[in-house]
Amino acid sequence: MQFVLLQAIFLPLLLSPVAYFLGRKAGATAAALFSFGLLLYCTVLVITPALSGTSYEEHYQWTQLFGEFGLLLDGLASPFAIIIYVVSTLVALFSKPYMVSRITRVFEEKIKEKQLIGGGTETIESAATKDHVNHQIGAYYALFLVMAMGMLGTVLATNLIEFYVFFEVMLIPAFFMLAFWGYESRRRVALLFFFWTHVGAVILLLGFLSIGLSVGSFNYSDIKTHGIPPHVLGLAAVAIIVGLTVKMASFVVHMWLPHVYKASPTPLNALSSGAMLGVGAYGFFRLIVMLMPGQYEHFALALNIWGLATMIYGGIMALVQDDIRKLFAYSSISQMGYILFGIGSASALGLSGSEMLFISHSLGKVILFMMAGAIILQVGTRSITQMGGLAGKMPITAVCSMIGALTLMGVPPTSGFMSEWTMFYGALQTAIQQGSMIRMITFGLGLVATVITMAYILWMIKRVFFGKLPEHLENTKEANWYVTGPMMVLAGFSVVIGIYPDIFFNQIIPFMKGLVGV
Amino acid sequence: MAILPFDLSSGFGDLSVWAIWILPFAAALIIPAFGRVSKSSTGWVAVAFALASAISAVTLLPAALGNHEIHNQIPWISSIGLKAGVLADPLAVIMSNIVAWISFLIFVYSTGYMKGDKDLTRFFFWMAFFLGSMQLIVLSDNFLQLFFGWEGVGLASYALVGFWYRDKKKDHVGVEGRHVLGLVDYYSPTHSGMKAFIMTKVGDIMMLAGMFLIFAFAGTFGFRELTANTSWATAMSAQHLLIPAAVLLFGGAIGKSAQFPLNEWLLEAMTGPTAVSALIHAATMVKAGVFLVARLAPLFFALAAIGINMDQFFEVIAWVGAITALLLATQGMVHPEIKKVLAYSTGSQIGYMMMALGVAGLSKQFVDGYTAGFFHLISHAMFKASLFMAAGSLLHIVGSRFMTDMGGLRKYMKKTYAFMWAAGLGLMGAPFITTGFWSKDAIFAAVYQSGNSWAIPLFAIAVVTAVITAFYTTRMIGLVFFGNKSKHVEELEKEGHHIHEASPSMWIPYGILAVLTIGVGVMGLAFEHQIHDLFVNYLGSTFGIKSSMDIVATDSQSLLGGFLQGINPIALTASLAAFAIGFGLGYIFYIGRFVDPVKFVNSNIFFYAIHKFFLNRWYLNAIIYWAFVVAPLYAARGLYKYFENIVLEGFNLVPERTMAGGARIMQATQTGVSQSYLYIFGVGILIVVFLLLI
Repeated sequence: MQFVLLQAIFLPLLLSPVAYFLGRKAGATAAALFSFGLLLYCTVLVITPALSGTSYEEHYQWTQLFGEFGLLLDGLASPFAIIIYVVSTLVALFSKPYMVSRITRVFEEKIKEKQLIGGGTETIESAATKDHVNHQIGAYYALFLVMAMGMLGTVLATNLIEFYVFFEVMLIPAFFMLAFWGYESRRRVALLFFFWTHVGAVILLLGFLSIGLSVGSFNYSDIKTHGIPPHVLGLAAVAIIVGLTVKMASFVVHMWLPHVYKASPTPLNALSSGAMLGVGAYGFFRLIVMLMPGQYEHFALALNIWGLATMIYGGIMALVQDDIRKLFAYSSISQMGYILFGIGSASALGLSGSEMLFISHSLGKVILFMMAGAIILQVGTRSITQMGGLAGKMPITAVCSMIGALTLMGVPPTSGFMSEWTMFYGALQTAIQQGSMIRMITFGLGLVATVITMAYILWMIKRVFFGKLPEHLENTKEANWYVTGPMMVLAGFSVVIGIYPDIFFNQIIPFMKGLVGV
Repeated sequence: MAILPFDLSSGFGDLSVWAIWILPFAAALIIPAFGRVSKSSTGWVAVAFALASAISAVTLLPAALGNHEIHNQIPWISSIGLKAGVLADPLAVIMSNIVAWISFLIFVYSTGYMKGDKDLTRFFFWMAFFLGSMQLIVLSDNFLQLFFGWEGVGLASYALVGFWYRDKKKDHVGVEGRHVLGLVDYYSPTHSGMKAFIMTKVGDIMMLAGMFLIFAFAGTFGFRELTANTSWATAMSAQHLLIPAAVLLFGGAIGKSAQFPLNEWLLEAMTGPTAVSALIHAATMVKAGVFLVARLAPLFFALAAIGINMDQFFEVIAWVGAITALLLATQGMVHPEIKKVLAYSTGSQIGYMMMALGVAGLSKQFVDGYTAGFFHLISHAMFKASLFMAAGSLLHIVGSRFMTDMGGLRKYMKKTYAFMWAAGLGLMGAPFITTGFWSKDAIFAAVYQSGNSWAIPLFAIAVVTAVITAFYTTRMIGLVFFGNKSKHVEELEKEGHHIHEASPSMWIPYGILAVLTIGVGVMGLAFEHQIHDLFVNYLGSTFGIKSSMDIVATDSQSLLGGFLQGINPIALTASLAAFAIGFGLGYIFYIGRFVDPVKFVNSNIFFYAIHKFFLNRWYLNAIIYWAFVVAPLYAARGLYKYFENIVLEGFNLVPERTMAGGARIMQATQTGVSQSYLYIFGVGILIVVFLLLI
């Protein structure tokens, strides 16, 4: 087993031009299936070493300045890596019908604009549209593959600079996808997105540089053995925490997320919610909990409370949204709050639950975004008040969305329950051990937040799928298998993990126990 | 040890315990496949699997009656060291049999009741899922696995209460246009399903908190492990966490069993098909809460042996039960919808059971209250399932949920009429011949004899509730079957729809249960002594709870001696009087119709006010909506509008505007005139030179 992870990361990057040319020459389906197949192969590559149970590592020469280029798949990284690629693979399929329709729409809008300005009366030839679509879908899949590669690289990195490079790599495709195929004021929002996440990343880099330069190496292992000198420790910790919370869209620094989600095409939403936000959470585990245990203990309670604030605030905001994707945007914020809450729990089970929650959230939220995509495709509206009674028209979508919703609400037998109970239990355990009243209260309020989550999700489901079918939706049809297939796979995963969580717990829990001790 | 997780040497005992709850889930899994072939087949698949599950439950009875228990575990979440398992002790086996058989009858009824519905597959999927979840609760050997079933019944009730998700007018509950405190008292099925799920979830998070507290100290979720080693309890009570944890666990039961203050979801749950209501009220869901308390009460009571006083916990149970019993019974007197009356009645009767279980922990003779509560659970399961199914027939045939739209039906639906009387008498506690009488009497006796300082007020509440119960049951039967035909029925007849008896697949199930209510009732006391006997042994051997055995001894020798010994004269008098008063009043108003109840209520401002107060559900529902739905939503909208979109949006706007503004200034300097550039360049050079010189 050599170069396995190297292949898994760089094949998508190297072959992204192929996706582009395939799209251009052979059409959207070919590009979609090629990307799907490629990512599926890479997913298998990631899963195989994870199956052996022990951690798996690869090292390569890099520049003297930064240290070595390593790829590590341990109990922490492998669940993240697996889920990131599984989600990317499935979203690649889902993207096809959605993006074809979206690109066509954008093209038509452009033509219309031109006509308005130039007063020309040229009609769009269908051949021209098709050509344009193929061209653009190729570009889309090329960007898509690069983004997947960036997310995986961040998770597998063993070196701060490596982490940073991959962290930035995943931004660029997201920026272009948003700017090219987004909705409404997409250019402005793309800039907003880039500005926020880039500022976050630069702050993160500041922390990395201060650590790396004072330790003399950027390798995690070196930092771990040498220890970080105390004079940069506090600064570095704060910089990293701020950088990562921007990525996770925690309360107060979440302002980029609702705009971005409202404006971006749905596959990008699915990918960024299901995988990209979670990379921020991964950073917490790897950089704060592992590399700076002292600082972690110091900040744990603050992170816990910050997480609580985020989960409640996001939930309350989600209650009052009408745009379905904005609702999910706030829901993602809230769910990232759960993860942050778990990160701040300072106990092995709490951390394990938190990582498991990343998995559950990915599964659940990607299903729900696919549902949103399916509805936007079939119905053409994003406003919840315009929907209703769709369960009868789109039964498979409705059932899968319900499973996704249950996953987010943490109802057994979905994976959501397994993650939430371990996480909350971990929080309580720390509260009892430390005899901390504040932690006791955050634990209680955290449980209350699950009721808020339940309220906004069930209400959304009710307004979308139940009730009287409005007249303009009479002719709605079930989405095609590009959409329903991935949804069913994800829903199945969620239930399987919910009943038999050892699939991931076997890796996560021993690792976290080694990390925190308790 | 062995390759198979099951110990086959003892026969198939272990496997049949697993089969009881796995079979319904298996049915749920294959029903969609059958639904593709033929929709009506799904009902029979569900019935067949329910029957198989019930039969495997029966095979456990002999062992259970001999006080043997089956405890079988398999690995589950090995990374935390948690195991999944089944625990079939006498409590679980009896409960499981009740659930299995009553559900089976309801499933048979459903095949008739739901005939022709276009979503049969979905219906039977959830019914089977519901049954499986309930059996999972009953047979789990640990909290975590129990919680799977616990949320499973919540989920199934959500799906079934909101089954008619198109929200047609006929499927609503409440009176259209009626307002209470400015809020509509008229709910759609999907709204009600959501309400049920969220309200029970509030109980569930309390239960989770309680579970976690115990797990944090004990390191196990297992019921038997918790009994075997009680050092966790000592540690918890030293930190004053034991009683909070126990009460939090009871919070779960409050939610599921619709006890005060989480009772309001139960009424709206009437939007589901009536078969579902029967299932929720008689076999699954609300009984889950009582079962949980029955599971936990001996565990906590036994802690007295190591010097831990759990009185506060049992007081909470007893009082919550008593308050709910009275609160819901009063409302049952005035509501016009037949299913709602039955729903109120269920909440109230569950309150009785809770009261008995709570009182058990407060008295020296734990087993008395425990037996009384559980006996009432059994008899209630029989008569309430029967009443609900009969009410379903009425709804089906009359096409209205209002009792005022029925009237005079006794001539047309003779079987339903007779069965409803039989089951209704059980609910009223008609003396000596109904199970309801004996179980209620046992509760009275347990409460009265408990010797606790709360005994007298609790007893008084119990008796008053019994009067009210007899009254509203008589009212229900009177309104439906006596008097003249209502306008609605006359219109139906004009249109050519004649009132007729329900089909056999419908009346046979509720007929069986109605007959059983009387049949078991005739032998009621002997039956009670059997359970009492069993529980004395069970509680003694498993939890070490001692009870005096004399009652049992005399009972087996002479029937008369046992008969007299099991009865407390004061309790007996009270229950006879309660029945007589309640039934008498009901007879005057609704069967004999000597006094017109509407005129009576309107005759006096006091009666009018009280009637309105009850009809408006003590304003509890409206208050809950104002406090937890309307006001928070209003606040959330404000927060979104002003804080999120103005204050926090500043993070986006300020940098954007500053940059845009800065750019505009910079732009203004780019004049494009080379002279001005040169001029500024010269000035700059001069300044630099000056600075260097200084």
